[in-house]
Amino acid sequence: MTTKKYKSKKAGERISLAITYVILILISLIWLIPFFMLIILSFRGEQVGMSADYLFPKQWSFDNYIKLFTETKFLRWYGNTMLVSVVVTLIQTVIVLVTSYALSRLRFKLRKPLMNLMLILGMFPGFLSMTAVYFVLKQINLTQNLLGLILVFTASSAMQYYICKGFFDTIPKSLDEAARIDGASRHTVFVKIILPLAKPIIIYTILTAFIAPWGEYMFTSFIMLGDPDKFTVAVGMKSWLDNPTMASEYFTVFCAAAVVVSIPITALFIWLQRYYVEGITGGSVKG
Amino acid sequence: MIDLEYLKMSPMQKLWYNVKAFFTRLPAAFGKFFKAIPKKLKKLWLAFTGIFITIGAAARHGDWKTRTSFGVMGFGLIARKQYLRGILYLLFEVLFILYMIFFGWKFLAKMGSLGVGEYTEVWSDELGAYVYEYPDNSLLILLFSLLTIFIMMGFVYAWYQNVKGSYLSQQFVEARIALPTTKDDIRSYANENYHKTLLSIPMLGLVVFTILPIVFMVFIAFTNYDKAHMPPKELFTWNGVDNFVTLLGGGISANSKVFAYTFGEVLVWTLVWAILATFTNYVLGMVVAILINKKGVKCKKLWRTILVMTIAIPQFVSLMFMSQLLADQGLINNLLLKWGWIDSPIPFLTDGTIAKVTIVVVNMWIGIPYSMLICTGILMNIPEDLYESARIDGAGPVKAYMKITLPYMLHVTTPYLITQFIGNLNNFNVIFLLTGGNPGSLDMQYAGKTDLLITWLYKLTVSESQYGIASVIGIFTFIIVAVLSLVLYNRSKSVKNEEDFM
Amino acid sequence: MAEVSLKHIYKVYPNGTKAVNDFNMHIDDKEFIVFVGPSGCGKSTTLRMIAGLEDISAGELKIGDLIVNDMEPKDRDIAMVFQNYALYPHMTVYENIAFGLRLRKLPKEEIHNKVIEAAEILGITEYLNKKPKEMSGGQRQRVALGRAIVREPKVMLLDEPLSNLDAKLRTAMRAEIAKLHAKLQTTFIYVTHDQVEAMTMGTRIVVMKDGYVQQIDTPKNLYNYPANKFVAGFIGTPQMNFFEGTLLKKGDDVIVRFDNCNVEITVPYSMLYKTEPKYLEGKDKVCIGLRAEDVSLVTGGAKSGKTTIKVVVSHKEELGSETLVYGDVNLNGDGYSESSTRIIFKDTSEVELKAGDVVEVALNLDRIHLFDKETERSVLPRVPEYNYLDCSIKDGKLSFFGTEIELPEALRRDDCQGELLIPTNAVTLDGKLSAKVLSCEKVNDRYLLTLTLNGTRLYAVSTEPVDAKTVNVGIDLKKLTVTVQGEQIISPLAEVNKIDCKFVKRIAVKQVEVKGKTKKEKSVCFGFEVADAYFEAEEALTQKILSALGVKKAFATALKMECGVDDLMISDNGIAARVEETLDYGAEKFLKCVVGNDTVFVKTDREYTGDVFLTPNFERIGVTETDRDIKIV
Repeated sequence: MTTKKYKSKKAGERISLAITYVILILISLIWLIPFFMLIILSFRGEQVGMSADYLFPKQWSFDNYIKLFTETKFLRWYGNTMLVSVVVTLIQTVIVLVTSYALSRLRFKLRKPLMNLMLILGMFPGFLSMTAVYFVLKQINLTQNLLGLILVFTASSAMQYYICKGFFDTIPKSLDEAARIDGASRHTVFVKIILPLAKPIIIYTILTAFIAPWGEYMFTSFIMLGDPDKFTVAVGMKSWLDNPTMASEYFTVFCAAAVVVSIPITALFIWLQRYYVEGITGGSVKG
Repeated sequence: MIDLEYLKMSPMQKLWYNVKAFFTRLPAAFGKFFKAIPKKLKKLWLAFTGIFITIGAAARHGDWKTRTSFGVMGFGLIARKQYLRGILYLLFEVLFILYMIFFGWKFLAKMGSLGVGEYTEVWSDELGAYVYEYPDNSLLILLFSLLTIFIMMGFVYAWYQNVKGSYLSQQFVEARIALPTTKDDIRSYANENYHKTLLSIPMLGLVVFTILPIVFMVFIAFTNYDKAHMPPKELFTWNGVDNFVTLLGGGISANSKVFAYTFGEVLVWTLVWAILATFTNYVLGMVVAILINKKGVKCKKLWRTILVMTIAIPQFVSLMFMSQLLADQGLINNLLLKWGWIDSPIPFLTDGTIAKVTIVVVNMWIGIPYSMLICTGILMNIPEDLYESARIDGAGPVKAYMKITLPYMLHVTTPYLITQFIGNLNNFNVIFLLTGGNPGSLDMQYAGKTDLLITWLYKLTVSESQYGIASVIGIFTFIIVAVLSLVLYNRSKSVKNEEDFM
Repeated sequence: MAEVSLKHIYKVYPNGTKAVNDFNMHIDDKEFIVFVGPSGCGKSTTLRMIAGLEDISAGELKIGDLIVNDMEPKDRDIAMVFQNYALYPHMTVYENIAFGLRLRKLPKEEIHNKVIEAAEILGITEYLNKKPKEMSGGQRQRVALGRAIVREPKVMLLDEPLSNLDAKLRTAMRAEIAKLHAKLQTTFIYVTHDQVEAMTMGTRIVVMKDGYVQQIDTPKNLYNYPANKFVAGFIGTPQMNFFEGTLLKKGDDVIVRFDNCNVEITVPYSMLYKTEPKYLEGKDKVCIGLRAEDVSLVTGGAKSGKTTIKVVVSHKEELGSETLVYGDVNLNGDGYSESSTRIIFKDTSEVELKAGDVVEVALNLDRIHLFDKETERSVLPRVPEYNYLDCSIKDGKLSFFGTEIELPEALRRDDCQGELLIPTNAVTLDGKLSAKVLSCEKVNDRYLLTLTLNGTRLYAVSTEPVDAKTVNVGIDLKKLTVTVQGEQIISPLAEVNKIDCKFVKRIAVKQVEVKGKTKKEKSVCFGFEVADAYFEAEEALTQKILSALGVKKAFATALKMECGVDDLMISDNGIAARVEETLDYGAEKFLKCVVGNDTVFVKTDREYTGDVFLTPNFERIGVTETDRDIKIV
């Protein structure tokens, strides 16, 4: 009796496992097909625009890539974005870490009001204040300038303290206390105790900060309006697709550009995935 | 007693009970809120009068060093050998005076009118052409007046701190307590004042690039800044609450009714979108996470990585690519036509209703990997013994999910859900890059059928220059978001307090 | 030299709750002090205040000769071991131990030698290159200890260091810490909620509850002479048996009647001499405490003259060497739940007891403890506060048991019969009455003398041991209380006067001669404003008040000045006081005066009427913050 039941349970498990696999494969297909399409389209040699009714190119070629690097300003945009990303990452990571530490570990009178203030500020449609930002930047001659863009990206980084502070909160307070008794100042505690323990959240912060400039369109298009030399990849590539005639000419080039943009970030992501998961689950969640 | 009765109810009854409880508690909550106001006001008043009491005490009991600090900031501190702080105060005062003389007052003086000088044409011999001269620029007047007011407020605060600090150091000297030396001061910035060291630069950025612009925007809402009043050529000026009236449909202009209608439509879609986007992503992300984490599934990391790739590939790339694929003449329609599955192109992005569905589906494609990642982390944290005891009690996988996984996840991820919801209310990229707010609608002012408040705002400002109206919409958006998130936060807090999980 | 002294230490949270109340203690060098109490009793808070991790709301904390109230933890020369070890996870054991030394910028070699030495003492040399994660709980705690001892601190603080370990390791580590204390010869302060740990390790134990210190004593004294029911119940396993009941004196015996059952036992009055008489009238409820080892099973009907009672057995706990038997004095009761009739006793005999058996147990009444049921205070204290006597007043003479004392004018009352209360400390060893010394017992730093005066038992306290057979005693009449039918006709003179005052700042202008010219020189001075008078305060006192209250708050806080009767002097100017009456105690005279809302007593040598001026002796005053009721000086 019991063995039979045991067996039937085994069989049931096997079926449910099989179903799981089928679903997972399906899901993977759904998520992967667009990327395959993107890659395949980037190798299409013939100019048929978007109205083609087939996927696989009749003529495989690297023309799109060649065109991308020789005829368009893509390389320049890529350089712009990379520069902005790296600088923004550096500054933003420092600001986020510093703010989170202060809000998580130090106790001062304005701590709670400050947190509430930042919560409320986060609810304003940030973009509306763009006109004001634009004119502030214009006064100091930083419109259509990468430095201005960096300023805009980093200026309010403090507001992204939430997840990082959540992570810091999970580090036991007694470590700080032990270190203070050992003779550490608050600064030493931060640098020597908290930071080494915050590797996952530092990597998470770096990743999010690094990716933001690649995908940001709203602010960048506003600040760089009218100067294609200063575009980032997002604004530049969007400009190819803005009108249908351009779009049909540049569609395959767009695909090639997308592949070029995606490869390094994807690699970075897959490499650091573990920390990213640790960081986000450690920080965004209050158990 | 109530708990026991509650447990006996059926799920529908429970839901009804909770809804009822929420509304019966509402008046009390409001009452509590309003009862707290006088207390808060009193506290504020005490703090406020405290400032004057301190200043008064310093004026009455201060020695000449302290009193000189009323005019020459930092003097009292320098005279008592606290050079660092004293010199900083003095420097700040000098800079402030210079700023006001050479810059600040010019703008501040014109804040009432926002400028009157019309532009003039002047013949320039050098260039051989007419040159336009713009004596005033409303925009800059408003912006820099506000900046000046901010700086003045900062100055008043610094002045008060300076008086207080001078008086305190006097009291210390009188009490024969050793004053902190400059060295102590510097050291304290790595210790008890470390928060000042850490936060000063982030806060400066926040004030200049977030708070100042937001205040500026709020002020713009009370001006007639639009296409017909574009400084520097045409100045704009204060127009009271006209923009608010227009947006609420009470305006005289013909636009007013349309604006009000558009606002309503866009608002409803924004809310629907935020709810749909948040919950589809969350629930399906959790399902995917559970599938991947299921016992016996191999290559967990591979499955996860496949999904994570979508996070890594810049959103704008996938969104724009999708918008191309799904266009009426896009690849997908063409393929379907060729295979004969359809007779005419499916209007994925050009029919209002279908476009909305498309957006939600595409958003799922983008968002599920995120929520999957978060859920994976938490799922692994659910104590195994919970499931074991459920199994011993005879619960199947579905029941275990409903009774353990879901409540646990909801309990733990409420803050994440709320931030997601707020993020979706202001989700610019998905809409703008996918449909651009289209398809357009004749009934609506400058808005398409899929426009969210935020994309509508973008159009109103960037292409239509309706700054005044846009600011009003921005304020309304803020109010809606703030109220919703406050309600949600409070709900989640009460949930936490009442029934702590486990 | 690392004495720690805590004077009037308070911890008050912003919402007004007091976590620690008026903590006073002097810890000698090399002592092993244990703070023990249930969770939330303030023991950890006190420790954290000593460590500097928590602000001290009021009071004075001294480590060595330094007041450390406002010092950073790192400057206090202390080390602390935490409950969860608090090891830095990213550092190896070596780095963990060396961290504090490196921050103090010691030379590398010295650090190395010290780390190695500490590791050897704790036997963790082989783990030096491991990370804390790879180690077991016991090893981690050793590392935490190593990190603490390597700095050679003046004081070691340990906050429940063993509660995360399993039972066996705990016992082992207990011995280890005791060994460490013997080796290091520094002061240890150890916090635990486990009374066994406290009893086995401490040289002295501080028992705390709800923020109040209950008793500070050696383990043995705590066990034998608990000051209240809480300490009695908290210290010792199994818990002391508590029965509710009443006491009734009948001749030379006292009948102890147990509530909720029909048990009555007789105790000779000689055992209960120190008990306050009011408890012996059969009305006031008391708690009778007896430890399990003072209850023994009577086997074979051998009655050895001891008091026995009947107990119904409910269940037992076999411990191997002995058996804990749970029973109930109430023969219908159940011995499982804690009630006022449950009894636990240790049984070492071979008799097999079954549930439901009714057995006879003998009580060792020498070791009986009695507590007030309401206040839980011991009513059989080790040092009685008062001597309770019957007395009569006749013709201005107070007489009790054949002793007669002439009453001074201030205390002269009509003839009556009443009860006399003589505080133990009112019996002085320099009077005219001759008394026999029955015994002289050392109680901590004092000696309790049991005397007989004309056959009446009298307790007195002395700071010196007394060898003589007889001593001459006197009685301080100021401290006497005489009650007639519940009404006090003679009350003791208040020993401490409390007067409202304020701390103020004044600017004094002096005429100074500089180079032949007179110049005005301003100087700031601080002092007390009492009623309308102003007294300049000494530098040290000023500093104490300013540091306790802060420069800003000091002048706005309502204070109460406390000064003894001897410390108020009549002078030409000072605090204006209205004289109400003059009290004549024979040798001494006192004035009863009114200052503002306060009544004060002043020693005087002649009579006054109308108004007088008073000057306090500032060297001996105390100051209390009125609002929060916190002692400052």
